[in-house]
Amino acid sequence: MTNPTPPPSPPDLTDLPNTSLGDPGSSWRIEKRLHVGWKSEVLTLVGATLVAFALSGILIVAAGINVWDAFKALFQGAAGSRRSILETLVQATPLILTGLAAAVAFRARIWNIGGEGQFFAGAMGTWWVANQFGDALTPVIVLPMMVIAAAIAGAAWASIAGFLRAYFGTNEIIVTVMLNFVILFILSWLLGGPWRSPDTYYFQTIKMPEATWLPRFLADSRLHWGFALALLAAVGVYILLWKTSLGFEIRGLGTNEIAARFKGIDVARTIIVVMAISGALAGLAGLTQVGGIHYRLQLDISTGYGFAGIIIALVGRLHPAGVVIAAIGFGALINGATFMQISTGTPSALVEVIQGLVLILVLVGSVVVRYRVRRVGGDD
Amino acid sequence: MFRVESQRGVRPGITDTLVTNENTGMAPTTPGTNPLLRIEHVTKRFPEVVANNDISIDVMPGEVLCLLGENGAGKTTLADMLYGVIRPDEGHIYFRGQHLDVKSPKEAIHAGIGMVHQHFELVTPMSALENIVIGTKEATWLELDETRIKLEGLCDQYGISIDLDVQVGRLSVGEQQWIEILKALYTGVDLLILDEPTAVLTPQGVDRLFAFLRELKQSGVGIVLITHKLHEVMEISDRVAVLRHGVLVDTVNTTETTSRELARLMVGRDVVLTVEKEPAQPGKPVLELDSVAAEGRALRGAVIDVSLELRKGEILGLAGVSGNGQSALFDTLVGVNPPTNGTISLDGVDITAMRPKDIAAQGLSGVPSDRIRQGLMMDSQIQENLILGKHRSSEFSNLGFLDKKATHDFADEAIEQFEITASSPRQITRVLSGGNLQKVILARELLGGSPKVLVVHQPTRGLDIGASEYVRRRLVAERDRGAAVLLISEDLDELFNVSDRIAVIYEGEIIGTVDPETTAREDVGMLMAGISQSADAAGDDEP
Repeated sequence: MTNPTPPPSPPDLTDLPNTSLGDPGSSWRIEKRLHVGWKSEVLTLVGATLVAFALSGILIVAAGINVWDAFKALFQGAAGSRRSILETLVQATPLILTGLAAAVAFRARIWNIGGEGQFFAGAMGTWWVANQFGDALTPVIVLPMMVIAAAIAGAAWASIAGFLRAYFGTNEIIVTVMLNFVILFILSWLLGGPWRSPDTYYFQTIKMPEATWLPRFLADSRLHWGFALALLAAVGVYILLWKTSLGFEIRGLGTNEIAARFKGIDVARTIIVVMAISGALAGLAGLTQVGGIHYRLQLDISTGYGFAGIIIALVGRLHPAGVVIAAIGFGALINGATFMQISTGTPSALVEVIQGLVLILVLVGSVVVRYRVRRVGGDD
Repeated sequence: MFRVESQRGVRPGITDTLVTNENTGMAPTTPGTNPLLRIEHVTKRFPEVVANNDISIDVMPGEVLCLLGENGAGKTTLADMLYGVIRPDEGHIYFRGQHLDVKSPKEAIHAGIGMVHQHFELVTPMSALENIVIGTKEATWLELDETRIKLEGLCDQYGISIDLDVQVGRLSVGEQQWIEILKALYTGVDLLILDEPTAVLTPQGVDRLFAFLRELKQSGVGIVLITHKLHEVMEISDRVAVLRHGVLVDTVNTTETTSRELARLMVGRDVVLTVEKEPAQPGKPVLELDSVAAEGRALRGAVIDVSLELRKGEILGLAGVSGNGQSALFDTLVGVNPPTNGTISLDGVDITAMRPKDIAAQGLSGVPSDRIRQGLMMDSQIQENLILGKHRSSEFSNLGFLDKKATHDFADEAIEQFEITASSPRQITRVLSGGNLQKVILARELLGGSPKVLVVHQPTRGLDIGASEYVRRRLVAERDRGAAVLLISEDLDELFNVSDRIAVIYEGEIIGTVDPETTAREDVGMLMAGISQSADAAGDDEP
């Protein structure tokens, strides 16, 4: 070694900014983690929710309303009684499905923003089948037909964007967003003319035959079989993504499209299949609302379920279990908000603020948990 | 001292005070002179790794110091700290006697430190002149003419020949590097850092670069050259600082050491610098390319007209400077870039228009040059990467469902057979080192498949000596098993060491094929530079 001895102190340097170069004692340092466990993910979600509530509390105070009364009402409405819990699950049903729809697509890095349009496509398919065959055939046949029709309609609507992306490289975000408008205009036209109920001035169809309504679990609750269907779909998505070759390709496409292509995965075909699956799930959400709640088509059968699905997928970390949890959480918020507004006069729009805050905070949190703070010694 | 008339005026934080430090024992080559750069006890930690641990090095004015080390030894980290890209956690750096605390490359340039990175920072649609101007000027007006005059002066002074007006994207990588060097000279440097500059050069290009560096050091500029090529170190450097796992192993005078000694310092054990192999027993042709043309990925790099014959049981090296069509050719062979002309046949089967998965099914395996982008899904599990491409085969799937057990067993076997350092097949691929990543790809392509043709592109780029040795031995083993191996590489040492024949590609065409046993390196270098010789070298291709 020609460089063995510690070099002597440098010449005349009176003003060394050595604090910036590390304290001789010890200091705290921010480092990147290699792994983020699921526990951190859950903690992030819980933490983000709590902070979102805290921030919303400030808004409630600013509105001159007692925070505790408002939050108490929110909780009571969401989960304060057996009835409200069941109603929360009713709200969560379409959200689980649109959340899964977004999650499947996002896993492949396909940005399907058209859940709303695919929801309406599914709803229209459901109503049409129920109306056409509901009186003639037994429900045992018609109900599965409705499910299939909803899935096919949603898948077909989404496939337009999938096909354009796969073969022409058209940006699927723009196409899916535009298709949302297109289908709403088609529905408006149908509701204004061909499909309009003859006995009303409203833009709505007649109700489906009662035999085709999705059966309810209990006599005193609106909770219907659609919820079971949603949970089944979540299990199905889990199996698809992690147990099948197709799911392997979907995740591969999302992880590294170039490597996927080099290793012989048919990227175009996979894009179309992913879009179709995503659209089918969103279409099923349309089924649950038409077949389980409204029984007829109207323009307001969705309160933005397709868009909420995007938020739910992201909050749920694109995992089916996370999506179910996030959807139930958001369902609870929607439900509680109504009660909060009635009993304390807090605008229910506040709930959308909370939802937005949860999303932002979860996204921020998901970045933050990738780092850790560690104490490092100075001299070693 | 060399300097273009100063662009900077007064340097912040650095005054030209005379250093009166008597302790110059760190740089024994030039006693009595004060070091230009002094690195004192510098430590830099990253998560999970100490990239630089208590490093102390001096660089004298007019000295070429080589930073030698394997990948991951911490060479670039150290250079990045000098250039202000990152900041040290501990320790101090003194430049021209003053404490150096640069927070950005801009400040480093201001202080008189220039760096040419491995990955250039050039705007490809712009000309060389424009690149240098936008990279250095802060004035509102560009003053192109004024800059041009200065640059032409610099080119004259150092014998650099570059067309300043041609679009950078149309230049070869070697020429682009000269623009980066010119940019550094233009801003004025007392210390020039070059990170693996010879990786993109022909042997002749390396000679030109070294001649330039010798010239530059005459004017008192200190040069830090990062490399892992031993013969270059021996040729150009005055002193060598050897890094291993972030620790400075030794600093030696070049005249007092040997390649073997340096290799031992670098790797920490005695290494085999060449792979042992028997003479090839070539059989019948398995891969035949006839007048193949294909589009390139960028402005350059298309395949224009390639005809090759690859025989069973031989390794055909494909030499060439980066950007001469190698990537496009690789993409074409594995099927992601269908040829625009010509035919490719594999063992008699026409695979010209086949899709990647069908080509793979015919028995052609490819190891891409960019492991991370083209080869692996970094955020997936190791076992998932090991079955990628085979995930629909009956071996790993059953009625569309993945066979977890078969996958896991296969991965266990791959990890054992290919000596992959992984704690579990379920580990996320990202945590692996470069050498282990390459082993994952090799295992995927070779284990259980026994391909007829193996096409490897830059298989040891970025790998340390140990891993490179392993990969080359594997290639020879595949050859001996009876595979036809196409080794596309820019590393002449590797080509001469491993190949049975060497074809040279230049601007998308095969410009010659030679026998490495009877051909001089310089002749291949001439071919790589596009200088086709008389038939005597090119005629040697039939053994």
